[in-house]
Formats: sequence, structure tokens, C-alpha cells
Amino acid sequence: MKPLRILCATALVFLILVAATDVGVRAAFPSLPRLDGDFSPALLELEIDRLRDGSPATVFLGDSELWGYRLRTEQAAPAILGARGLRETNLSYEGGSPVNTYAVLEVLLASGVRPKRVVFNVNQKVFNALDSAYATVQPSVAELALPRFSPADAALVAPARAPATFEARLDRGVRAIWRLYALRNDLRELLFGDVDAAHALAARLVAADGTQRRTDAAHAPTAAVFEGTYDLAPLDDTNVSVHFLRRIVAALRAARVPALAILTPTNHTLLHDYIDTPQYGKNLAYVRRLLAAGGVRVVDLDGAFGAADFIDNDHLTAAGNERFASLLAPQLGRP
Amino acid sequence: MIDSDHLVVPGSRDVTDVLATDPIYRLLGRRLAHPVVLGFVLFVLALALIVLGPASESRFIYTDF
Repeated sequence: MKPLRILCATALVFLILVAATDVGVRAAFPSLPRLDGDFSPALLELEIDRLRDGSPATVFLGDSELWGYRLRTEQAAPAILGARGLRETNLSYEGGSPVNTYAVLEVLLASGVRPKRVVFNVNQKVFNALDSAYATVQPSVAELALPRFSPADAALVAPARAPATFEARLDRGVRAIWRLYALRNDLRELLFGDVDAAHALAARLVAADGTQRRTDAAHAPTAAVFEGTYDLAPLDDTNVSVHFLRRIVAALRAARVPALAILTPTNHTLLHDYIDTPQYGKNLAYVRRLLAAGGVRVVDLDGAFGAADFIDNDHLTAAGNERFASLLAPQLGRP
Repeated sequence: MIDSDHLVVPGSRDVTDVLATDPIYRLLGRRLAHPVVLGFVLFVLALALIVLGPASESRFIYTDF
């Protein structure tokens, strides 16, 4: 056989194998109990397709609190409720905020998904303009959602990263036609439980030799770490998080989707010096009124937990998540 | 290094002669180089690069205190 013919035939065999794998990936990529830490736009689209095609579910939209920061998947409150029989999908992720919740909601509704209900949390710290999620949409969500934002809304958020380099264009082109490549971040997390094999190996090594335990002990959260985390200026419509909270309420009302908003459990023992002031209470009341006026049910869990239930300022331990799930259950019609 | 043993004067050798000494060309000429085997090897390499490759994106927000 002539070498040129061999090269062409090899390329054909390669493309057939790639296409066959892609058919398999599209049909059988598992539905994840929660989004992975570095999820791709392709995974979000996959989960949204499954939501649209399945029977209506309760959809959790929120931040690391609902995602289950530093916990195994099954220890997060939504997963606990799922194990108790609630049909749920957890689309929360680390770095959530009202603009992020609105962005995912926009993509869901525009894709024809009509959840049975939406549960989202509202964390007082994201009303601080210095918070990293205040006006920034998670890049994978931004790719899907920002083109749907009105110009006025888009002007309020940090622009999505869309580098015009040859490498970036090639990456987008390959992602568009090769699903396995588009899902590579998610595949790696699925296989290794980390962003890639090297990080997974490093994590196991530092856990095995005790480095992780010593690092955790040295970085135990203290109140000083959270100085400046909460901005106690009175809330109004100039606040980007307030603006997008109103957008969430309006979108839910227009789509007639029932919603439950959780005022995020907060560690008042740790944060006493910074947040136990009248203005913090007024800001909570402002948010409660805004949500209730738009027909969203509110469950205020801001002060419902003791210090022992927290890992830090607002992330709950595994036991805390058990209690969290038990407090949410009656609100969601579960025992 | 360029010397009289390695220097090829343009037009002095047939292109197929040059290719015949090329390692890739010779590999493709072997019976082992069946397109199915080569295509499969190429696919496994691509798969390994994707699965074992480094994360190209940093996490959005990593709230590790």
C-alpha cells in the first residue's frame, strides 16, 4: 500500500473511532450529582438537556453552601434531600451570587426547562462589591448566558473571557465538534476526583504524609480573616446583587416557577464583631421584603446554626448539612 | 553541521530517494503499518492526551482559607 494511501486510511480509522466515542459520550456520560469544581459549558448543557427531557425536578441554584464546600457529594444538603426521595438537580457551584443564579436561570428557562421549583440561597456577603462573585459570572455559565443578557444587564457584569488567539479559536472549534474534548474537564474530575491526574496524585500524597492535616490546622478560620467580607452599607438598587436579585424574581414570576429562597446560614459566633449590628438586620429584612414582594417564599436560616455546625464563616459541616436538609425538608413537602 | 557528506544540492537527488530514507516514510512502508493499527494507536494517544493532560483552566473562585 502506498504511504499516502496509508495516511488517508489511518486518518479515516481515527475519525471513525473519534465519532464512535462521541456517540457513546453523548448517550452515556453520567449525570453528575452536582456540577464538578471546574465544569465545562458542555456539561451544563448536558444537564439542562436532561432536565428538559425528564420529569420536572426541584432545581437548586446557589453557591458553595448548597454545592457542599469541602464535603463529599452525598454530604451536601441537596443530595441528602435527594436520598430522602426529593427529585432534585443541584446546579449550584462555588462562587455563586445573584448574578450567577440569574445567569443559570436564564439559560434554563431559555432552553425550555420548567422546574417543579427553584431553590436558591442568598448570601449577605455577595452584596459587597469587593466579593469576587459580585459582578462576575462563572466562565462556563457566562459563555452560555451572557449572550442572552440585555445590554443593560451585560454592562453591569465583568465581560466574559473570549480570547481571540489562534489557540482559543482552535479550542472553541474543536469543542464545537468533539464532545469528548468539550467535556474533558468533567471527565478528568469524574476519573480522578480533581482537576487533573497530577493534582489528584499531589492531593493524595499530601494527605498521606500529613501535610494536608498540618496545613488545615495552620489555616483554621479566624474572625480576622473575614474582616471586610461583609459590606454593611444600606442596600439599594445601585447594588449589582440587588439588581440581579430583582431579575431572578421577575424571571421566576414570568415563567410561573415556584421558588424558595434561603437566607444563607451564617456563623454569627465567628463574625460577631463584624455583622451583629442593626444594619445587618436591616439588609436581611430588605432582601426578605424584595423576595416576598415578588412572590418568592423565604426561609431565613441566617442565625439558625451554632458555631459547631460551620467550617468557616458560612460553609456547613457534614453534620450541619444534615440539619440544613432537615430544616429545608418541610419547606419542600418532604418529611 | 553541514559538510560535503550531508549537503544535498537542489535537483541532484530524486525526491522519492530522499523520502525512502526518511524514518516515518519507512515505518509507513512496513507491513505492520496497517491503517487500522495506526488509526487505533493515534486515537489512544489522543485519548491519553485528553484524559491525562493538565487542567488548562484555573478554577473560577477557590475559597480556600
